Amino acid sequence: MTSQDTRLTGRRITAAPPRSTDTATAASRARRPKKKITVGRVLLYVVLTAGAIAMIAPFLWMILTALKSELEVSTFRWLPGEWRFGNFVEAMQTAPFLRYFRNSLLIAVGETAVTLVICTMAGYVLSSIPIRGAKFFLGYFITLLMIPFQIILVPLFIIVKSIPLFGGNDLLGQGGTGWLNSWWGLIIPLAAAPLFTFLARQFYVSLPADLADAARMDGVGEFGIFLRIMTPLVKPALITIAVFQIEAAWNGFLWPLMITSSDDLRPLQLGLAIFSQNPASIQWPYLMAGTTLATLPMVLLFVFAQKRFVEGMASAGLKG
Amino acid sequence: MTTLTQKSRPAGRSIPARRRGSVLSRQRRAGWWMIAPALLHSLVFITLPTLAAIGLAFTDYSFGGTPHFIGGGNFAELFGDVRFQAALKNTILYVIVVVPVSMAIALLVAIALNQKIRGLGAFRTAYYIPVVTATVAVGTVWLWIFNPGSGLANGVLSLLGLSPVGWLTDPGLALPSLMVVGIWQGLGSKMIIYLAALQGVSPQLVEAANLDGAGRWQVFRNVTWPAIAPAQFFVLITSIVGTFQVFDLVYVTTKGGPGLATNVLVFDVYNNAFQSLRLGYASAETVIMMILIGAFILIGRRLQGANARD
Repeated sequence: MTSQDTRLTGRRITAAPPRSTDTATAASRARRPKKKITVGRVLLYVVLTAGAIAMIAPFLWMILTALKSELEVSTFRWLPGEWRFGNFVEAMQTAPFLRYFRNSLLIAVGETAVTLVICTMAGYVLSSIPIRGAKFFLGYFITLLMIPFQIILVPLFIIVKSIPLFGGNDLLGQGGTGWLNSWWGLIIPLAAAPLFTFLARQFYVSLPADLADAARMDGVGEFGIFLRIMTPLVKPALITIAVFQIEAAWNGFLWPLMITSSDDLRPLQLGLAIFSQNPASIQWPYLMAGTTLATLPMVLLFVFAQKRFVEGMASAGLKG
Repeated sequence: MTTLTQKSRPAGRSIPARRRGSVLSRQRRAGWWMIAPALLHSLVFITLPTLAAIGLAFTDYSFGGTPHFIGGGNFAELFGDVRFQAALKNTILYVIVVVPVSMAIALLVAIALNQKIRGLGAFRTAYYIPVVTATVAVGTVWLWIFNPGSGLANGVLSLLGLSPVGWLTDPGLALPSLMVVGIWQGLGSKMIIYLAALQGVSPQLVEAANLDGAGRWQVFRNVTWPAIAPAQFFVLITSIVGTFQVFDLVYVTTKGGPGLATNVLVFDVYNNAFQSLRLGYASAETVIMMILIGAFILIGRRLQGANARD
């Protein structure tokens, strides 16, 4: 941004805690470690590769099953006898998947936007602003984190149904359907989970307080400090929150199932259920083809997001 | 809770005393505005439904009926319920094994994937893929891996010259087998939190320590470990909460069997609430679960050691 900003970042480096220096100077000032091929490095690659294979096996199996015929699925084989790429097209034609896709996208983007705004602000306050009861609120959010969604499902449904002045409800939330079967109901209740407030807080807390004080002396407003000074420094955290929230919204099943009655609002995961409606005759290849197509955006998202991690690392290195 | 939350910075340390008062109150006012949306949202959509659920725990509420207050009746019945006893034991065992093991592996993987190695992006994505893979796919593949006849797990055993076992059908082995899957499945999300935290470790500090000849272990112990302490705390709490709530995995693979060998708390809650339609009873079970989770977090926090900052 401005030169002021650069100065502040410069300060951040010098303000870094001197924790390590005493132990570090005690050791001998010998060589710096060099990159070369050692037994350790080879072992690292072998272990990492073995782990990676174990990690992606089910994912691969999902794609391969999507290419099999209905008959082949009953026996367990990795490779399909005949590669039926047509399964993907046929699966897509059984339901309005383009619309489901758009709905999922809207829900994911909406929830993530709400989460990023609400949770970063709250996380920042919990970490850096000495409001009365800050400790209590932190404990409060941590407590909320422990509550399993399954148990609040029924009361939450009743609350969402009783939102006043929506869906034909009166001021007391009676008479209509509230947020049921609406974008509001799909997006707002599940956004801004305490989990993300807590996550944001854990990242803001590791920033030096001097940084905010310096900006304050320069006359930057409190909100400006939050938005322009502190938040850009926790970019990896923002990406993590966004990835988690998008993914949670994308894979949501139970909540949309409960509150949507019209097909116009249904997300992808509900659409996929069409292939497994009858447990006795699940259409595995179609189900897997649909699931693969539904999962792919999430994988791409992660590929993109993890690059930003690397960038974050690179720019942090440049600042010094 | 004091060890968890000691953060309250002396605001405006370097600001002239004359201005301090007004700055502090301005700061607090801004703070209230910024935290208000989160408080309002959580109050309406989490706290209220939770209080309602806790209230239901003391009633005989079932779908469609009117709730009658029955005091501690549900709790008394729970402690005599063999299904609940099994679920309690299984869940606690599951948490005690899965949480520390998956945290340790995730940290090791994150450290390995925070270095300059070839194919970094591919490795990171591979380790994250179980998190996004659909539960049906995950469940099916693990069912095959654990298949007594043709499965991969028994194939490995026979390579080693051992006789095959019934991974998911032997009551003694079913829970440990699910633990393996749980560790496998939870690695990815823990790993990216550790990765994000490792990004926050000042490269200057590491550089300086290296220059001063600190060994790798010394750098880790004195620079990296303190710097990722807030992330550690986050991972610990979310792991305990998430592991306690294991459900999908059991639902897809064993349905709580064989017998009650893999009956876990949320699965039992689900059965009581949506199969037997006993919402009050299920709520009581959840209340006990929440108390347990709280206790585990306190214990885990102690074991992790009170790091300098949280």
